[in-house]
Amino acid sequence: MENVEKKLREEAKGLLAEKKVDVVVGYEKGTLPLTATPCFITTPEEADRLVWNPFCVLNLAKFVHDLLSQHHEAQKRVKPEARRKKVVGVVARGCTSRSLVIHLQEKQYGRDELVILGVPCGGYLDEKKLAALAGGEEIREGSLDDGKIAVKTVKGEHQAPLKELLADNCLVCRFNQPVIADIQTGEIAPVAEAEKEYDPVTAFENLPPEARWAYFEKEMAKCIRCAACRNVCPSCYCRICFAEQSQPRWVDIGADPSDTQLFQLMRMYHMVGRCVDCGSCTAVCPMGVDLRKFLKKLDKDAFSMFGHRAGVSMDEPALLGAYKETDGEEFIFEPKHGG
Amino acid sequence: MEKVMTEEQSANAWEPKIVAIVCNWCTYAGADLAGISRIQYPPNVRIIRVPCTGRINPFYILRALQEGADGVLVSGCHPGECHYITGNLTARRKFAALKSFLGYIGLEGDRTLFTWVSASEGDRFAQVIRGVTKAVRALGPARKLVKGI
Ligand code: SF4
Ligand code: SF4
Ligand code: SF4
Ligand code: FES
Repeated sequence: MENVEKKLREEAKGLLAEKKVDVVVGYEKGTLPLTATPCFITTPEEADRLVWNPFCVLNLAKFVHDLLSQHHEAQKRVKPEARRKKVVGVVARGCTSRSLVIHLQEKQYGRDELVILGVPCGGYLDEKKLAALAGGEEIREGSLDDGKIAVKTVKGEHQAPLKELLADNCLVCRFNQPVIADIQTGEIAPVAEAEKEYDPVTAFENLPPEARWAYFEKEMAKCIRCAACRNVCPSCYCRICFAEQSQPRWVDIGADPSDTQLFQLMRMYHMVGRCVDCGSCTAVCPMGVDLRKFLKKLDKDAFSMFGHRAGVSMDEPALLGAYKETDGEEFIFEPKHGG
Repeated sequence: MEKVMTEEQSANAWEPKIVAIVCNWCTYAGADLAGISRIQYPPNVRIIRVPCTGRINPFYILRALQEGADGVLVSGCHPGECHYITGNLTARRKFAALKSFLGYIGLEGDRTLFTWVSASEGDRFAQVIRGVTKAVRALGPARKLVKGI
């Protein structure tokens, strides 16, 4: 990890010094123990702030899209001869790189507006698992040494192997190397158990429908519709999301449970073939809604029905923007004669 | 003769309400043909005409369910016969994913049905409506995703 961090800083410094990028989106040390936070580096001197460790949680592709789409928007108000290109450098692990591919597939910006600093990823720390380790107490001090996390709270000290505290999605990550990168900073062997990726989905599918509905209802009842899951999701970049549209008003802003269910169903449905399982949405949800249980199903279906994995290849079109004549028809209703 | 229904009777008299979202060029014309050929089919469907199945935002389906439809049928041109060439082929992917997802959260499969009926298939249209009505009737009134329940 240290080497990756060192290389990362050097590369970022170089890119900024040579003016090959206007900004590098990366992570810096957070204000609380065992955290890192997204940062925007614009001068070579600042590049030493960059870190790369298992506390880097959020998918940075979101910020890349924000920066570039805002830049494109601003350029519209500039005389054509005065327009300038903005190039964004981004620290990208596997899932981040897949989100970037999705943006490129969906023609959100050009490949030339992007410099990808690929980093190998061993997974990130799940804040909720960490909180459980600390017994819900405030963490005063924390350290990561030799694959062991140690925390100090007012009530005492706790320890656990990092592996036990990794986020669920990281444990089964299939693409922990960037799928696309301009500069690669180090390699590590995959550690994740990708073959178990869909186990929870399969287990859920095997429950009776009423149990599944009950679970869906229960999870959705927790949701306060703060939209943090959407705001942090790199695939949710619509300028005006359906959730805020008023003409037509797709979903009502009411206390009726069905309104929240519809909001969530639709938000998730918009992830068909577009969710990279980065876990950002689950990580930021203040209510602990089990979004992944549902999102992962979309991922499973995209693969089993259409052989599609979100954002892994620049040559593939967006799943729902394309079709094959051979796409399955099993779900088509056939009335029985005389029925 | 005037008849006053008791509450129990009116509950027993539940009839499924089915929203059928159909494309203008095939299924709607098929429904017309069924009509002019005087083929009988159950009066439980409310037809919404759209230019093409590719025009259907999956939200229409969810919204219909939320507003109290007991079932939603989507029907358009057979693959290869879409007036806009590929509208129904992209729609097929969208619907496959939607139907599977709704099934996953525990919604009954027969609440949302998809099929193809061409302009010359008046008979098939009537058959589809009979089949859909029967399937939805068997499920009983919708209780999931419905507003105010
Ligand atoms: S839906 Fe969640 S897990 Fe999927 S890409 Fe968006 S933030 Fe990541
Ligand atoms: S939920 Fe859908 S409409 Fe809203 S931002 Fe995400 S993709 Fe766009
Ligand atoms: S972050 Fe959680 S509570 Fe907020 S809208 Fe998303 S699921 Fe609901
Ligand atoms: S016009 Fe009928 S499905 Fe496209």
